[in-house]
Amino acid sequence: MATTSERTGNDAALIRPQDGTRGFWTRLTANPAYRQASDLLLSSDRRRFWLLAVPALIWMFGTHLGPILTMIRISFMDSYPPTAGRIPEMTLENYLLFFQAPNYITPFVRTFVYSTCYTLLTLLLMYPIAYFLAKKLRPGRQMLFLLLLLVPFWVGEIVRTYAIMILLGNRGFLNIVLMGLGLTSRPIPFMYTGFSLGMGLVYLTSLYMLLPLYASLEKIPRNYLEAAADLGAGSWTRFRRVTLPLSKDGIASGCVLVFLISTGYYATPVLLGGPSTTVFAETIAGFFHVAGDKWPEGAAFSTIMLLASLVTVGLFLRLLGRRRGNLLG
Amino acid sequence: MQKLLTPRRTILKGAGLAAGALAMPNIIRSARAQEKVVNVWTYANFIPDDFKAKFENDTGIRIQIRLVDDQGKAFNLLTAEQPNPSVDILTIAGHRFSQFITSGLLEAIDTDRLSNWNIVNPVYRDSDWIVIDGKKWGVPILAGAEGLAYNTEVVTPEEAESWDVMFDPKYEGQTAYIIQDFMSVTMLYLGYDGNMVEYKDDPEKAKAVVAEARDFLIKHKGQVRKFYDAGAEVQQMFINQDIVLAQAWSGPISKLIMDGFPVALTIPKPGSYGFVYNFNIAKNAPNADNAYQLLNAILGSPEVGTAMTRSSGYLSTIDGAADGLNDLERRASSLSQEELSRLTFFNTEADQLKYSLVDPAVEEIKAA
Repeated sequence: MATTSERTGNDAALIRPQDGTRGFWTRLTANPAYRQASDLLLSSDRRRFWLLAVPALIWMFGTHLGPILTMIRISFMDSYPPTAGRIPEMTLENYLLFFQAPNYITPFVRTFVYSTCYTLLTLLLMYPIAYFLAKKLRPGRQMLFLLLLLVPFWVGEIVRTYAIMILLGNRGFLNIVLMGLGLTSRPIPFMYTGFSLGMGLVYLTSLYMLLPLYASLEKIPRNYLEAAADLGAGSWTRFRRVTLPLSKDGIASGCVLVFLISTGYYATPVLLGGPSTTVFAETIAGFFHVAGDKWPEGAAFSTIMLLASLVTVGLFLRLLGRRRGNLLG
Repeated sequence: MQKLLTPRRTILKGAGLAAGALAMPNIIRSARAQEKVVNVWTYANFIPDDFKAKFENDTGIRIQIRLVDDQGKAFNLLTAEQPNPSVDILTIAGHRFSQFITSGLLEAIDTDRLSNWNIVNPVYRDSDWIVIDGKKWGVPILAGAEGLAYNTEVVTPEEAESWDVMFDPKYEGQTAYIIQDFMSVTMLYLGYDGNMVEYKDDPEKAKAVVAEARDFLIKHKGQVRKFYDAGAEVQQMFINQDIVLAQAWSGPISKLIMDGFPVALTIPKPGSYGFVYNFNIAKNAPNADNAYQLLNAILGSPEVGTAMTRSSGYLSTIDGAADGLNDLERRASSLSQEELSRLTFFNTEADQLKYSLVDPAVEEIKAA
């Protein structure tokens, strides 16, 4: 068996520059400190595991858990950002505020009702498209169609939201067409309603539903459906008993993604929503913008929303898990 | 088990690197402070492009603008950054000074360092709201008003003489307002003091006044097409003909008028509130000298004020600035004597009481 120094020498020979000078990797691998470090870090499975796990954990804590834990800490303070000469004390008041004032419950409930409805609507709209892509198109054309569907998503969320505004405004494309056809004499106020908000959210989140659905449908072997047909199953039965249960993972992933994204959207409800569509993200933002120094209340409300979203998703996944393989009975 | 032997030299190298890494933020900060830059948080178009280019060319100081279009947002950002803020100059409305000052976020203005201080109209530079604890806290740059904006092809000037029109069923679903601002106007409309100074020592009365205004707006919520936040939003809604009436800041509407849209702005009966935007210097500003140089340049000549009015739509506080405007620009950015007489400036005296009641009321209106 070759020794470490022999392996290093062979590797070095492979990457040595033609002019005979020693390359960077040659010098690095020949360095005793490097060898000592690599021997130390890669000498056992456990060390190799931690070598890979540490960056992942740092990333998770630094970018995901860290901010959430900071938010939870702020949610228990009586004042934040810190002001000169005042030491914040810990309190539960910020959480109690949510339960004491009905004006905060309404947008909270509205958010979850809207998100549930928009998620179901997105599923209903995207499932046939994903099915068409995965099952009706030749493999060579699938990528082309997926690419066409992806193109609008290359621009940012705000630009796409403004596109909806241009479409639905009083002087927007839709009203111009309707008035041009003589179907209405005055513009129909589509904008700043539940309709415009719903259309915006469904449009913006459709890709998050489409891709998991496409991935799960595409994996279903065609011979399953052929076997079902040979056994006398009609098209509806084949869909109900084979395709739908086997695409359940895609449905679950898509619904979870769309639901969570819908509950957290802020810019779209602000731009497309109206006086009667205020969602909880707008209420939370109010604490950070207009009210000035009310971050703890905003942080407490964000924590409540986070927990409620996770509980809802957990219940949904549990419900799906119970019906494994038998989605429509 | 393998024993790791670390040479002393390696330990020293490591310690040196760690110390360097720890000291890096301060090294970077002082290095950046030596740069010829001035960092400004302000609203869109408050610093005209031509002026910016000329200032940078003349002084070699780069103006780095960050758009911060909300007073609450500015407060939060600055509080989070203190005691090492990234900003030198920020834009604060006169009626929001006290919140920033009591939190220790601002540096008082040293008017001795502003050679052109006297070019600011005395109405603004000597007003009482600018002085707190015997010090001046801002350089007034632009003045505006909470007005009634209306589409002149749909709403007549007679209808726009009173705030009544905002609640006229004829315009149902065709109005818009900023709830927080419109609460003050509504209190005034209902016969109360929108600044709430009168109820400073009577919290029960203050509570009742806010509740009445809140209930009134909830009752007429069907009139509203949109609760908006930014000037650009109301401009867009007028352009798209989504609305025909709005409570709006004068600046964005003046810009629409200058651009030829059929929109007008008035101060209807019984009146409304005015405000003044100031450039303030942040406490511990990293480039305070450059900030004073910029302020001096802004106050350098009436032409700068003219350009600021032209780009922002707000009225310049600099003497003689209006002379450089053409007829349309002057008509768009100024108010008649009668309208001015209906204007009261926002007052900060009862702010704490006012916003502790108004903020929850705003949420209730949204939720209703």
